[in-house]
Amino acid sequence: MTGTAVHTSWDGVKRGFWRAQPMAVGVFVYGVAFGLLAREAGILLAEASAMSMAVYSGSAQLAAASAITLTGIDGGGLGGIGAIVAAILLLNARYLLYSAALWPWLSKTPARVTYPTLFVLGDGNWVLSMAAYNAGERDAGFLLGSGLASFVPWLLGTLLGASAGALLADPKLLGLDFLLVAFSAAMGIGLARAPLPWPNILAAAATALVVDRLAPGGWTIVAAGIAGGIATALTHRPSTRAKS
Amino acid sequence: MSFRPEFLPLLAAMAAAAYFCRVGGFWLMRFVRVTPRVEAALKATPLAVMIGIVLPAALRGGPAEWLALCAIALTMRFWRNDVAAAMVGVAVVAVSRGFVV
Repeated sequence: MTGTAVHTSWDGVKRGFWRAQPMAVGVFVYGVAFGLLAREAGILLAEASAMSMAVYSGSAQLAAASAITLTGIDGGGLGGIGAIVAAILLLNARYLLYSAALWPWLSKTPARVTYPTLFVLGDGNWVLSMAAYNAGERDAGFLLGSGLASFVPWLLGTLLGASAGALLADPKLLGLDFLLVAFSAAMGIGLARAPLPWPNILAAAATALVVDRLAPGGWTIVAAGIAGGIATALTHRPSTRAKS
Repeated sequence: MSFRPEFLPLLAAMAAAAYFCRVGGFWLMRFVRVTPRVEAALKATPLAVMIGIVLPAALRGGPAEWLALCAIALTMRFWRNDVAAAMVGVAVVAVSRGFVV
């Protein structure tokens, strides 16, 4: 597939959608958890669903729901809304990095493809799509499809959690909280082909270790990604390596 | 299904903040000349991000998580199928947590 130009097709959407299905289970359970929490916070079913569709970000919505518990549904005026917006910007800072890394792919697609595709951008579908891009995938439909594969169960999970309040089995006991870690580990091993990119690996690992101590969560991901990128750029030698 | 209109300003602000992060990095790249060096850096970020996801989880986890990561590495080594490896990892975590808890 190497050498194929960037394009968009329904086949690609379907391919991405099916390829991302193993992750959908975890997203669904996470969605139920958000729905339950939203219910606790006094957010109504339609409001929680609107949040899941418009914001579409687990950590950000959980933070917002716990803020709403204190402020009420209007967010407590301009100051309260500002605080929630700031939390969302911090929690989602990693998406800045993700979408920058998608530039070589999405800068060649029309806006009507690019912007909806970025709307459904998430951790799982980014990891999956970058691995696919590395393996030669150039169909932007793959990105959109794998994003939709998480968007749909996220909304369905929210609906179930916020309406029935049905208590599913503990996701931790089912190992579903480990899903993204497991996928990242597997794809990381798949990506790290010989000759191993040591500057990238060492910089990312060292940065992750330090930042995880200082500011755990999304920041570790952002910092590791940037450190790996910088180390790679600094040690880049155009002549030594042919295109993989 | 009822929806309180006083939720709308907060909802709009939250949606805008989340979407800004999703398009912000992409827009910034307009101002960056994508030289081979920059392209190499962008290409390097997925592996670096994966390390940033896995390493803290491994540090914070216990025997169940470590066993699962070993199982993932072994599955990748012999099968080279990332979906299968991830499923094996989740299964190992679920089973060994059941024993440990």
